[in-house]
Amino acid sequence: MNLRKPLILTVVASALVGSLAISSVSTAVAGAPGVSASEIVLGMQLPETGPASPGYNKVDDAARAYFDYVNSKGGVYGRNIKLVVKDDTYKAGLTISTASKLINQDKIFAFFGSIGTQTHVSVIKDINRRKIPDIFVNSGYSSFYTDPKKYPTTFAGLGTYTVEAKILGKYLLEKYPDKTIGVLYQSDDFGRNALAGLATAGLKFEARKTSASFIAGTQGSLGLASQIGQLKANGVDIVIIAAVSSATAVAYATAAQLGYKPTKWAVISVGADATTFQTILGSKGVPAATSAAMLAGTISASHAPAPGELDDEYIAAFKKINDDFNKGADTRWDNNVLQGMNAAYLATSALMGVGKKLTRKKLISYLEKNGSKLSSAAFAPLGYSKNSHEAFTGFWLGEYDASTLLVPIDGKRVVYTTDSAGGAVTVSNYKRPAISADALPKVA
Amino acid sequence: MKINKFKKLVATVGAAALISTGLVVAVAAPAQAADPVCVTDAKSGTTTCNGVLTTGAAYKTMVPENFDGTFFFWQHGIRPSYPYPGYVVPKGVQQMAPAGAVDTSEAMLVKGYGIGAFDCQTSGLHGWNTADCVEMLNELVTITKARISIKKTVVYGSSMAGAVLTPFIEKYPNQADAVGILAGVTPTINNELKSACDMLYIYGVFFDPTIKGCTVMGTKGVAGHMAVLGDFAKVAALLTQWSADLGSKPLAYPAPLVGSGIPQRSAFLLAGLIAGIPTKSAHMDGISTSAVIPEQSINGTVAVLENTAELLGTGYFGGQAVSEVVGAGFYDNTKTDFASLLSDADLGRFNLGLSGDDAINAMLGVLAVYPRVTGDATAMAKVEALDMSKFDTAKPVILLSNEADRLVLPGNTTLYVNKAMAIYESRLAAWKKQYKAATTAKNVSALLKSKPVWNTVAMYAMTPETYTKFTATGAPNLAADRSPSGVGHESFTKEQLMTWVRLLASSAKTGRVPSRTVLSSYLERTPYLNTDLDYQATELKYEN
Repeated sequence: MNLRKPLILTVVASALVGSLAISSVSTAVAGAPGVSASEIVLGMQLPETGPASPGYNKVDDAARAYFDYVNSKGGVYGRNIKLVVKDDTYKAGLTISTASKLINQDKIFAFFGSIGTQTHVSVIKDINRRKIPDIFVNSGYSSFYTDPKKYPTTFAGLGTYTVEAKILGKYLLEKYPDKTIGVLYQSDDFGRNALAGLATAGLKFEARKTSASFIAGTQGSLGLASQIGQLKANGVDIVIIAAVSSATAVAYATAAQLGYKPTKWAVISVGADATTFQTILGSKGVPAATSAAMLAGTISASHAPAPGELDDEYIAAFKKINDDFNKGADTRWDNNVLQGMNAAYLATSALMGVGKKLTRKKLISYLEKNGSKLSSAAFAPLGYSKNSHEAFTGFWLGEYDASTLLVPIDGKRVVYTTDSAGGAVTVSNYKRPAISADALPKVA
Repeated sequence: MKINKFKKLVATVGAAALISTGLVVAVAAPAQAADPVCVTDAKSGTTTCNGVLTTGAAYKTMVPENFDGTFFFWQHGIRPSYPYPGYVVPKGVQQMAPAGAVDTSEAMLVKGYGIGAFDCQTSGLHGWNTADCVEMLNELVTITKARISIKKTVVYGSSMAGAVLTPFIEKYPNQADAVGILAGVTPTINNELKSACDMLYIYGVFFDPTIKGCTVMGTKGVAGHMAVLGDFAKVAALLTQWSADLGSKPLAYPAPLVGSGIPQRSAFLLAGLIAGIPTKSAHMDGISTSAVIPEQSINGTVAVLENTAELLGTGYFGGQAVSEVVGAGFYDNTKTDFASLLSDADLGRFNLGLSGDDAINAMLGVLAVYPRVTGDATAMAKVEALDMSKFDTAKPVILLSNEADRLVLPGNTTLYVNKAMAIYESRLAAWKKQYKAATTAKNVSALLKSKPVWNTVAMYAMTPETYTKFTATGAPNLAADRSPSGVGHESFTKEQLMTWVRLLASSAKTGRVPSRTVLSSYLERTPYLNTDLDYQATELKYEN
């Protein structure tokens, strides 16, 4: 039966539709939060000051430099990208309050590149509840990314600690089958993740013998003498460090004091940032040449070229932009600058990919559907999909040379790839696309 | 007697003469036993009536000379029936309006609002007599409406009142035009009780095996109160000790952890986090550091200590009050997975305070195998059903909580909003279905008038970002000024309370909570009220 609604109903319905239409127009005019006809506002949280700031406090300036470069070229569909940065001094209580300010006062469109696991874990649930994109987080903690149902708006900006530890562990096991391998880890999210990766790779440690832990945050006040002494006493030849750079610095200094010279140090990349390592040791009176010598020979990993590879096309382009646009207090070209700029390049790619009608929902959807196709300076592909929000799924291994440059082991860069679960470690066949002449992403 | 008649009587007697003397004069003798005794303050013109409900409970109303027709009925929070250190059992009507450090009753009268309150006691006892409070509140509203010409009625109250007002408005929807819940419990109180009992259970595991916690509760009367008092004293002694040494001594219990080097404060923090105790307190902001408080999570640990010290009495004797209603054995943790009660954020942010993953795993490992408490099925069912509500009122409801309320956790407000939202969304979906199916103009017209509206607002009083003060040695200065906002229980500024009151009055008049724009303008003008309308406090650990 075809029930025809009487005229009055049609009128009422039309009026309703009319009001809905007005509402829709109103919404369209208002746009997504943090997006106007001329601007896209992104928010970032990181330790700009305080003990955890060395190195990290360069990332935002580098990202802003790249965004300023993009803006100088017309922005993204005519919109300039504005980066608002809040200093949380690596204290989670401040991360919570500054997140609120970014959301409510600065009216950001998305969180971008926030730094720190312990800090970000304090706000990630709320950011996701509010459905705010939380892109390219500078933490390798896999639990943020491996279950998008739990954190649907959060996307990684680094490869996970687990992936890196799996690759590093497999290499060490194969390269040094007869050596005693031990681990020094901070007993928190980071250490937990790295230990899981090392275990998946087949490494086994003995508690209180070849495995030494410390409570994250106590490395400065309590030192690491007992842990390093324990590894030395148990004849550990190769020490893997899964800890932040300040702990790495303390570990090296302590080993020197104890006369402990392991065959190799192997450090998860977050803890092996040369700038941070040298800054911290420098604050304790260790000359730069000495700290560089201490770091030399250390094995670590990276997904991107080393900042010193000046003939790399991405490095060359980013370094030029850094020279021209970085207005930060410390613009020296290093890995922190490279990471900040690469994340900004990825963010620009994603914003371009979404198109003119930018919304939060569209950005998340875009990254899940197309994010894995985005290119960057990295030699490893991005792992974004509906089932995973992990970033770089591969690393190459290198050794620091005397100038604190990480160079591929045996002179040949081999990129290994795996996942944060039980998947095998294999050699990646990913071929990094070239950067365009104007260093702007070319995304349809 | 209606107030207008009452005023005429005053005039007849000779108001001018009374005003000139400034005396308070009785103006009408009660016509019958249930009628209140009323007096009018000759200077202010406010008429105060004192009466007794049919249960024998005292009540009091105050009506200003400029009464605008809006009447607020106050439901007080829990009043344990017996005294304990720091608590004297109140008698009669002690609070007429929301109060903390300040009393708003005078300000409300000046605004032209009538105010009323009663002493919710049954047979001379108080406790968790929420069901009785619902009926007494109804009686007070009924007899006051019969006596005074009231245009709009607001029922509001604090703390336990949440478990009175929520079922009240569902049972008597025509008795009020708006509901205000201040630092209130979202039924059932068992959500919080379970957390409090978990905390005391963990104290028993890690600090003193003779602590009985919630298993000590359940005996009625003075004997039960004394038993609880004894257990309370043990925990109070522990807190006193930790206040002196900040829990730095290593664990002396249980046997597997002796010699582990885990400091008592880590187990204490673990218990607090598992129970959801706020990590900000009156003096500790959870952020600031010093030589003695070297890291943020240690600041948070002291905050948990300060909060626990402040909540202990109410928690213990509130629990006992509930057990008098539901019986002994309401707590059962045979199926509790304590590890799951620690959030990712807890583990990350407070990792150092908890002494790292290894210590956390060791403590949780002990909890996993430690003998558990088996409850009584009847008592457990009763406590779950206490003050059962549907959260389906269509009347405006405005909640106000402190960001770091140490007693009625702010997660109660989150829970209320989420429960009400679930009902609203369900109704809206049903309405949309009906609208889509409507085939006549009459139906459409009727449906447009009956479209469900979201009629709940959650307001929060926040703390400043940092406020911890340290002594010259770097120790936390717990004698310094408290945070000006956001901490304590039922502790709000006068401005915050009056903003809440004004919004309630406005909502009662229109039948709707204010728009986001109007609301924002109020919030922005009131120091420390949260202007983030999408803010949600951390959820309770249990949410039934």
